[in-house]
Amino acid sequence: MDIPSTIAGIILLLVIVGATYFLVGAGMMFYALIGVIVGGLLIAFGVHFVPVGGAPAAMGQAPGIATGVAMLAAGAGLAGLFGGAWAAEQGLVVAVITGAVGGGLMMAITCMFVTFIYVFGMGIPCASGKVAKDPITGDTQTEYKSQGTEGHGLPFVSYVGGVIGGLLGGGGGTLIYIMLLDVYKEALPGMMKALPAQVLPIAVSLAGIFAVGMFLVNAVLTAYNITGTIEGPHDPKFKRFPRALVASAVASALCGMVAILIVAM
Amino acid sequence: MESIVFGIGITALAGALATVAGAAENTESDIGSQGDPNSQVQLAPQMGYIHRIFNKAIAGEPPAYGLWVALGAGLAWAFMAMQINPILAIVLGSALAVFVQGVYATTAYLGRIASLSKFGQPVFIDVLKSMTTVTMAHAFVAIFTTVTICHLINAALGHPFPLPLLGLVWGIALGAAGSATGNPFYGKERQYQTQKFGAGVPIAASGNIVRYAEAGERNSLDNGWFSAKLGGPASGLCFGLIVFLELWRTVIFEKIGAGWGAIVVGIIIILVFTVIDRYIEVWARKNYGPYGEPAKEGS
Repeated sequence: MDIPSTIAGIILLLVIVGATYFLVGAGMMFYALIGVIVGGLLIAFGVHFVPVGGAPAAMGQAPGIATGVAMLAAGAGLAGLFGGAWAAEQGLVVAVITGAVGGGLMMAITCMFVTFIYVFGMGIPCASGKVAKDPITGDTQTEYKSQGTEGHGLPFVSYVGGVIGGLLGGGGGTLIYIMLLDVYKEALPGMMKALPAQVLPIAVSLAGIFAVGMFLVNAVLTAYNITGTIEGPHDPKFKRFPRALVASAVASALCGMVAILIVAM
Repeated sequence: MESIVFGIGITALAGALATVAGAAENTESDIGSQGDPNSQVQLAPQMGYIHRIFNKAIAGEPPAYGLWVALGAGLAWAFMAMQINPILAIVLGSALAVFVQGVYATTAYLGRIASLSKFGQPVFIDVLKSMTTVTMAHAFVAIFTTVTICHLINAALGHPFPLPLLGLVWGIALGAAGSATGNPFYGKERQYQTQKFGAGVPIAASGNIVRYAEAGERNSLDNGWFSAKLGGPASGLCFGLIVFLELWRTVIFEKIGAGWGAIVVGIIIILVFTVIDRYIEVWARKNYGPYGEPAKEGS
């Protein structure tokens, strides 16, 4: 990690958190900002687990899922957010876990179909290009790589990584949504001089669109950290995650501050 | 009890619509060559292989479908607010969104191909005329079915998100599922049909895509015909299962244990898919065998 940039990032984070504290005080809105930052961190960390092979994976030249990092993570995370938002009335813990399971479910089904297409559609077994043995199953990988490629398909560790990425992304997205929903439900009736039931659709829409936006901010930020493709938690690129967490905390804090201040001031 | 039966019916209908949506989305993106395999369509002229494949990959499938489905859902929502019948409103909203897709496809093809002019790649106006409408037709099916799912989830199952936001969420999920499942089949099996079956494309072969068909030059309609045989249906099943299982576990089990029922069922489903995935992986290792074995395997 680049120490000066990390320190600068942490100082920036503290300045944003301090400014929000100064503007809104130590109430529910301040805790919502902390929740938004934690949600952003979960998303950024989760995206590192998702095995993304990009264009080379579409030709069976590299392992992973044949699409972009931010694309796939957003698909899974938003499917999780959908489930989490539905369960919002059941309380924070149940909603966040429901969102996490929704994201994990989307990734589990997608990853299974990726393996299905590789094996039954293309006749290609799964092989990692980064490790000699699968860290979970112990299966050897090198002899299953076809000539002139870096591996192909989803070895089991990549599948597990995909599901973990979906779980973290779905949970993080839902946490951001619920934190912002609470803020808007509290602040909008007074601001618009209307009954809580009347502003609920506006609060839900606003929190939903901010959660989607912040999800994409964190997913794209992490995609830059990964630079292209990653096989999953066993990939050497996975070790880069600390710097993405610092960047994500700063970005989430800034987005969260804007999302909160539009109703606080 | 009645509400549960109603919920199951809506869930089944949404799952069926999602299956159609996934299949149409993948076929549309393969005809338009919008997924990751398009890197090869873009690369081919630079390696000296002039082709007649459509090329509209200026955005990934998930954000593109996020835009089109959110647009269709937003317009349908506006028409419904004008007291227009929901079915008509969804058809009108989807049709207008498809025009945006058509403009996108046209400008993307012209821009993408014109950028290759220095490598001698011409812009084929007949390709533009014959393929754009076919991608638009497939896009209409994908957008209409997805907006209908969103309307069912919102109006019949009571999800709190408004229709346009649901359109954005499920449009992105549709693109993600379709591109993840269908891309390798189009990229490896179709663009590199001349390469050996059962092995990845060697990196040295990059750009040498198949450019000739049974008669004349291959075009993107041939690619749509091919990927509709497996890549499309598999993408459809993938997205259909995602929508169906996500709704099913919520509609039936949400009331059990104050929300924990749906969580436990979700975890069980994840474990079931994990077992299936592992079974397929081991099956392939046993039946296909390693590439690196010496000559007695005949490899």
